[in-house]
Amino acid sequence: MLKRLFMLIALVLIAILFFDVASNFTERSELSGISQYYVEQGAEELGAANLVTSVVVTYRGLDTLGEVTVLFISAAGASLLLRRRRNTNKKLVVEESSEIVQTTLSIMFPIIMLFGVYIFINGHLTPGGGFQGGAVVASALLFFMLARPNDSISHKLLMKIESLSGFTYVVLGVLGVILAGGFLDNRVLGLGEFGSLFSAGLIPLIYILVGLKVGSELGSLLQKFRE
Amino acid sequence: MFEFNLPLANIVLVTGFLLILSGLWAMFIHKNIIRMIIGFSLMDTGIHMIMVALGYITGGTAPIFDDAVDGMQMVDPVPSALVLTAIVIGLGVTAVMLSYAVKIHQAKNSLSIDDCAEQKW
Amino acid sequence: MVTELLSPLNIIIIALGAGFLLPLIHARSPRFAGQVMFASLLYFVIISAYHFYTLIGGAPAVEIITAGIQPPFAINLRFGLAEAFVLLAVNTAALFGARYMFDELREHASAMILFIVWIMGINGMVMTRDLFNLFIFVEITAVSSFVLVAMRANSIALSAGFKYVIAGTMASGFLLLGTMLLYYQTGTLNIDDLIIHQEMITGPFGTAALMLVLGAILVELKPFPANGWGLDVYQAAPAGIAALLSVGVSAAYLFALYKILPLLTSFLPVIAATGLLTFVASNFIGLRQSDPRRLLGYSSVGQLGLMVTALALLTKFSLTEYIPLVVGGLFISHFLAKAGLFWLAGIIKGSELGDWSQLRSKPVLIIAFLFLITALAGLPPFPTFWAKWQLVMSLMEYQQHGWVFFILLGSLLEVVYLFRWFGKAVSSQSDKALDISSSGNRQWLPVVLFVGLLLACGQVMASSFDLPVMALLPVYAGLLLMLIDGLGERLKQIASLLVIIAYSVYLIPSLDGLNWIFGLMLLPGSILILIASTYQQGTARPGFYPLFVMLVLSLGTLLAAETMLGFFLAWELMTVSSYLLVSLGKKATRPSLVYLVFSIAGAFLILFAFALIYAQTGSMQLSAIGQAGIVSNWPFILLLSGFFIKMGGLGVHVWLPDAYAECDDDFTAMMSSVVSKAGVFGLFVVGTQMTAQLNDMDTILTVVGWVGLIMALAGAIMAAMSEDIKHLLAYSSIGQLGYIVTTFAIANHTGWVAAMYLAVNHLLYKGLIFLAIAGVLYRVKTRYMYQMGGLIKNMPISFISVLIGIITISGVPPLLGFGGKWLLYNALLERGWYLQAGLAFFASAVAFLYLFKLIHTIFLGQRKSEHEHVKEAPLALLIPQITFMVLIMAFSMFPNILIQPLSDAVAPFMASTFTWEGYLLITENGYWNGFLVMNIVGVLFMAPAILLWLVSKKMKVQKVKQFNIVFAAERPFTPATTHYAYNFYAFYDKAIGFLTRPDATRFWNGVSEWGHTVGASLRRFYTGNGQTYAGLILFYIGVMYLAVRTL
Repeated sequence: MLKRLFMLIALVLIAILFFDVASNFTERSELSGISQYYVEQGAEELGAANLVTSVVVTYRGLDTLGEVTVLFISAAGASLLLRRRRNTNKKLVVEESSEIVQTTLSIMFPIIMLFGVYIFINGHLTPGGGFQGGAVVASALLFFMLARPNDSISHKLLMKIESLSGFTYVVLGVLGVILAGGFLDNRVLGLGEFGSLFSAGLIPLIYILVGLKVGSELGSLLQKFRE
Repeated sequence: MFEFNLPLANIVLVTGFLLILSGLWAMFIHKNIIRMIIGFSLMDTGIHMIMVALGYITGGTAPIFDDAVDGMQMVDPVPSALVLTAIVIGLGVTAVMLSYAVKIHQAKNSLSIDDCAEQKW
Repeated sequence: MVTELLSPLNIIIIALGAGFLLPLIHARSPRFAGQVMFASLLYFVIISAYHFYTLIGGAPAVEIITAGIQPPFAINLRFGLAEAFVLLAVNTAALFGARYMFDELREHASAMILFIVWIMGINGMVMTRDLFNLFIFVEITAVSSFVLVAMRANSIALSAGFKYVIAGTMASGFLLLGTMLLYYQTGTLNIDDLIIHQEMITGPFGTAALMLVLGAILVELKPFPANGWGLDVYQAAPAGIAALLSVGVSAAYLFALYKILPLLTSFLPVIAATGLLTFVASNFIGLRQSDPRRLLGYSSVGQLGLMVTALALLTKFSLTEYIPLVVGGLFISHFLAKAGLFWLAGIIKGSELGDWSQLRSKPVLIIAFLFLITALAGLPPFPTFWAKWQLVMSLMEYQQHGWVFFILLGSLLEVVYLFRWFGKAVSSQSDKALDISSSGNRQWLPVVLFVGLLLACGQVMASSFDLPVMALLPVYAGLLLMLIDGLGERLKQIASLLVIIAYSVYLIPSLDGLNWIFGLMLLPGSILILIASTYQQGTARPGFYPLFVMLVLSLGTLLAAETMLGFFLAWELMTVSSYLLVSLGKKATRPSLVYLVFSIAGAFLILFAFALIYAQTGSMQLSAIGQAGIVSNWPFILLLSGFFIKMGGLGVHVWLPDAYAECDDDFTAMMSSVVSKAGVFGLFVVGTQMTAQLNDMDTILTVVGWVGLIMALAGAIMAAMSEDIKHLLAYSSIGQLGYIVTTFAIANHTGWVAAMYLAVNHLLYKGLIFLAIAGVLYRVKTRYMYQMGGLIKNMPISFISVLIGIITISGVPPLLGFGGKWLLYNALLERGWYLQAGLAFFASAVAFLYLFKLIHTIFLGQRKSEHEHVKEAPLALLIPQITFMVLIMAFSMFPNILIQPLSDAVAPFMASTFTWEGYLLITENGYWNGFLVMNIVGVLFMAPAILLWLVSKKMKVQKVKQFNIVFAAERPFTPATTHYAYNFYAFYDKAIGFLTRPDATRFWNGVSEWGHTVGASLRRFYTGNGQTYAGLILFYIGVMYLAVRTL
């Protein structure tokens, strides 16, 4: 009880802080600081219609690389923590899903996959991008795992996709150092025609890699937990 | 005293703070590790909502150049970009937490945080 | 091209490139994967070393932009000197750390990936100049740590790890929130841009935003009481991980704090307070801790707290130019020492402090352990010593007494538990054996290497102070002799003797005045005792000779010191070396610790006084003491108290009897006759600098005079009641030093000459008696006097030594002691202290009691049957004794060869009132002709003595069995209780016994008890419950916010 009271006090203290923030907050009516620059210069400078994408992939590209890294190490961490002891390698056999689910899977799986790929390829033009697309791809994989609990997706394949797409991402970043202004500069390739699929330099390429990487990573994470 | 004027961003912001508080409360009160992880997710979501609210600009639209948005005010693209990053990171952290939960359950055959108090003083 | 290959950005690129590919590589060739990991880590080291080298040569900081766009619009990184310094340290530790735990890492590709990415995260945290990017690297570091902590997946590590996850995610959540709130107000995320536009961060909104960012970073630095999770992690994580967590990850957060500190001007006092609270509280709790891993945890969080405090305070007072010296020094000490200690902890089996005795099977490791402990405790010559000195001096300049007081209090507590640990390691026996064969040298070699780095860093830091070249000579001489410590006994003895003699020849002529006289006393005195030390052939005393040399050389350095820093440095070196020598005694673990703690406390008083003086005068010279005295009496009082502790002054003497009694017998002679004179020297340093003010300090001097006399009386009484021969002599030392204190306080020419004269006297006769007793103890193997008796026949020369010694002490003519007493009474009368003179006389009378007991019970009376075949003491002991006796005789015969130089040395400070007529010394109150007295007494005494001897040759002595008439009627159960020498002065007990009650001991035990109680109540926060820990984090941030909000 005493503990609960203490927790309440702690919560009230932090609530005071939150209250100070909320009561002094007013909705913004205009852009300021760096965002103003992005809106005014971003499209011209990087050639991507989706400003969020410009910020994510290029202006704050290092953040995104870091974010990919966090996902990567949490997958690696999960596999390290959940590694199985060598001798207790028995496989759980779970009841198969119903036929409806199985049939839906065979219809929907390619469509969901395709949708995911669409999202990450068009990330520089429309809402969406590598992460969103990757998440959709992973949801297809999750669907597969739920529908066919006794089949597994090739570990090796996922790992290869994961590794190589990550590595290529870094290589593309380094190309920026050699061929353009700096690490992760997208202007290694021409910016192309504004608003078209092949535009915005490296951004679509990077988003494809991110999409593949996120998809395979989330997939292997889910697989880990399923095991 | 004060009054919240009720533009969209304020509502989202206050909701975000309430989510954080309820997430924290869940982390403090529930003994079950899985519930604590859910508490964390709540808190994280609250933070993300606040981020979006902070970037909102009255009457703004998505920061994507398109024929439809020509000349309209755009919302701040930076918080949108950052929240994307933050969500993915939150996901990664949740994955690690869940791995912990699995491992703790294996090691102790219990999911109660009270069984994780071997060390003290 | 070279610069591009060595761009700091490559650390991130390589880490990620290698990290992403490692799963593939590991699947093909685990061996190659390991090589890739090491190559990457080595590359990190090379990059940071290269830039550290160029930056220190004056190159500008490396600015890295990403995306080809200038900041603040894109993320930028910076690699300046500070970054290079921290990262060179971190990456080096990481390289060795990976090697240390390679057996575990190579099992699994993920472990290697996590390790590399972990280190990369730390690098990124240090380099980035963008607040949100900082958050990303925080998360990278945190997620990898979460997993690595629990990589062994054992139950305890999982529990600790989960608490860490909760704390870490809360902290990073707040960091993210705070960052975004700052962005809302300023429209930027770049730290430099934020600093430029910090006026935009306003109102409660801005304060709350800053609080969230600050709170997140501080929580990761494990402040009290929101740090229970951190302690659990340090204790439970694999040693290699805990080491890097304690040094690497914490370094990154500290650096992050340093980066954002310019934004936090209004928070500085609160930051400093929370750091100091952590420092003091965790050191209190450390007193109670018995698990070495957790103790290291407490020490870690304490050190971090101190660094935070130093950083905040130096920034607050715009002393940023000292940040590299102070925070850098504290950091590098903590860094190298903690890494080394955690690595050692990983080798040792068992979770008790005593288990560290396993290290004794590999001498290089126990020495390394000692060095690491010493470095952590802030003793010279290690970096922390210099950092703390500078910190204290800088703070005092701004009159920050409170901060300094608590910093010193925390440091003292740190000394207690660290050296208690060391004591257990050298004294206890572990039933487990050290096993380091399986891992080759890769687990212990880095530890030794880090010790070397610590010494090197200490030397580098020393060079930034104004010190003579020879200031650290004692350390190096000691180290050099340590190298030959494994060789033959004789060789070591001769080498040590040669070093000390050479040093004396070099040093003494360069001294003048009183310092010269002290030089002539202390160095030759040490040589004599070192000669005597050779009697202990065959008993291996590891480190005795190196430490002895270090002690003597630091005494010499003390005499030669001209600045306050030089003095304090020598003083601390002397303390450390004498502590270690005391601890060599068989049962000396506890007494030596008590000795060390009192000595360090005394040293801190001196340090505090020096800082006060520096603040008042702005000068570091010892001569500034005099100028400061004009303003206030405090420096004088503090300095006196500091020296008083070293001399075993009344009330603070409790360390002395046991320390004297339990250290090796020959070293007791050193402690009593030589080392205690350092305190006397200290008194004179203060006195001679303050002669101008002494006239106005009548009250203080009177008090000191009385204290000295009470010391003299109490010492004598306690000596008379002692059964243990070494206790007796120890109390006698207290008493005799009391006279010196009093004569010093008299503060006129006669008084100071008397004080010096008594000091010389004490050196001679205590050296003589203790060496004689060392011989006796060597032969009879007991320290209790009632178990001895009648040894005159077996040990005639020792008997004569003791006889001469006690005649000298008692102050009866014709020997040297008489002159001392004569000068004492002269001085007292001259000053007009008649009452004191009476007390002094009484104390001298009491002294007869114990002196009689000493000679009677040991050498006279009946001999025990088991002592019939006892031989005379070894020659090595006799030669110095004879030398001492010759000196005593010479000075007794020709007192003017002693008094004349003393008088001359005192004369520049106190106008001389002496006149000489040949051997006749005339003062205001009388005259003394030592030569004549000696001759008369010689004739008067020697003639009957020869006669008696002749008579006794003729007499028949009737021999009786020992037990035939001694006991009447009753049958004794133990001979001890009925031996006539047991409780020899029981009949005086009723009258003056109350004076011998150990009130002081009880008081200090109470203090120690209290410290432990504080520790026990403070650690009640650490219930082990993860939710409580989480609540405490919230509570901590909330309270801090309220504090800032109301301020």
